[in-house]
Amino acid sequence: MTGLRLIQTIALNTVRDAVRSRVLYVLLFFSLVMIASSVTLAAFSYVERERIIQDIALSSIRFFGAAIAIFVGVGLIHREVERRTIYTILSKPVSRAQFLVGKYVGLVATLWMQLAIMAVGYFVICHFNGAQLDHRDAIAVGLIAVELSVVVAFATLFSSFATPFLAASYSIGLYMVGHLTRDLRSMGENSESELIGTLTLWLERLLPDLSAFNRVMEAIHDLPIPPVEAGAALLHGIGWTVAFLSIAAWTFERRDFR
Amino acid sequence: MTPEAIVRVKGLVKDFRPGLGRRKTRVLHGIDFEVREGEIFGFIGPNGAGKTTTLKVLMGLIHATAGEAEVLGHPVRDTAYRAHIGYAPESPYFYDFLTGREILDFYARLTAVPNASRAARVAEVLEQVGLTHAADTRLRTYSKGMLQRVGIAQAVVHDPSVVFLDEPMSGLDPVGRKEIRDLIVALNQAGKTIMMNTHILSDVEMICDRVAIIVEGRIAYQGAIDGFDEAGDKIFDVTLASLAPDFVEEAATRFGAEPTGRGDRVTFSVAEKHVGELVESALRRGGQVLEVLGRRADLETLFLSAVNDRPESDTRTEEGAA
Repeated sequence: MTGLRLIQTIALNTVRDAVRSRVLYVLLFFSLVMIASSVTLAAFSYVERERIIQDIALSSIRFFGAAIAIFVGVGLIHREVERRTIYTILSKPVSRAQFLVGKYVGLVATLWMQLAIMAVGYFVICHFNGAQLDHRDAIAVGLIAVELSVVVAFATLFSSFATPFLAASYSIGLYMVGHLTRDLRSMGENSESELIGTLTLWLERLLPDLSAFNRVMEAIHDLPIPPVEAGAALLHGIGWTVAFLSIAAWTFERRDFR
Repeated sequence: MTPEAIVRVKGLVKDFRPGLGRRKTRVLHGIDFEVREGEIFGFIGPNGAGKTTTLKVLMGLIHATAGEAEVLGHPVRDTAYRAHIGYAPESPYFYDFLTGREILDFYARLTAVPNASRAARVAEVLEQVGLTHAADTRLRTYSKGMLQRVGIAQAVVHDPSVVFLDEPMSGLDPVGRKEIRDLIVALNQAGKTIMMNTHILSDVEMICDRVAIIVEGRIAYQGAIDGFDEAGDKIFDVTLASLAPDFVEEAATRFGAEPTGRGDRVTFSVAEKHVGELVESALRRGGQVLEVLGRRADLETLFLSAVNDRPESDTRTEEGAA
């Protein structure tokens, strides 16, 4: 059996398992409520109601998408070890890396399905409230999908060696810092201290830049999104996903399942 | 000719580190044993002796600190050979949102059972383990015994040549134990080599060909289960009656047999090679032969002696020790 088919089998089973998660449905429900409530919140404004709707709705999609990615992702591997379902799977001709990638692909597929539901909600709300939709909205949602893939990758990495609580703490921390890497850069540039300059430069290099996937402003204000920048963000996402999964596979390979 | 070794373990050592900065605990102290083709091999020992750790090393779930472990000639870190082995862990857990049929289909996919024959193979294995009636019921409704059967079913769904079972009868009632025992014997008769971890000696006595006894991470005994006679002969209990007065003493000296018994009945424990001669001479001298029984090993005695004779040792090793 080829490695890809093994990964596909594990991924499909992960989707079946993940769609049973209550956390996932609770967060999905609240995200849809937030998207719908953007209309109510926009009603308090006299100007640019459509943009407020878009802003709240797209931000809700980003926030709840990341929350689902972290809270479902951190239990991804740990639950398999805790429930001991991993024993029978790894005693089959399945490498640990294949298992890990299969779990990752399954969760990303589940998240993208959730994202598709949220995006439909967003497009429907925008359509009925006169907000103008174009390719920028599609690119913004597409890059949220890439960002979620990166978030699941580091949640999977932390899940491969830590308890869900610790993995969630690490993931939330990395998610927040990942959105501040550009601020780190400007902080270093504006600092007079050489040490801070070097430190922030290295931190920026060592951490994913999650704000690269945030194109909500461009979508709302009809600003151009250069294809080169969108492509670079995509490559950035793929690169970090591969890096996180490689470290996760390396860590996972060395574990003892007692 | 000695059958080929299917599992070969040599000098296997495993240390666990409870946490950073804490001393390592050595749970396997350089163990050696072999499982031969076509046999049911019992790996027995008290709780905490290292049985499950050894099996997990063989399954690649735990990495050995030192030593060698091979299955079917492959180092246990390989994954490809696992298409030819099956493993049922102790108290197995499965995705309980799936049905019996779905979970076996999942494992069959992982072991490359061909698409065309997968459904038929799953149905066949469900039949073999007696779960056809519950095939389309979710696993969360299964009893412990049924899950134990699913554990064995997933281990054999791809028709492996070697099957590893960790405490397959644990927690089952007598009926369930017998059913699992019969299933193991049937698998063995179908040509599969079986290695079974257990601490239930009566099960071992009933079905195993050879055993290894592990005590505190060391192999205390390894060999055939029949007799445990040092010369390797099977021991028989021959019960005779109506013997001539001097026959008992004479036979005891001649065949090296310890006579036991009361009144008219005397039982001699003799090696297989002396059974015919003893019976013949007893009959010639006017005696009666009441019973000739091949003795299954007194495994309990051997087991207890292995446990009680264990060397006094500190199972903890200093940081950095090999």
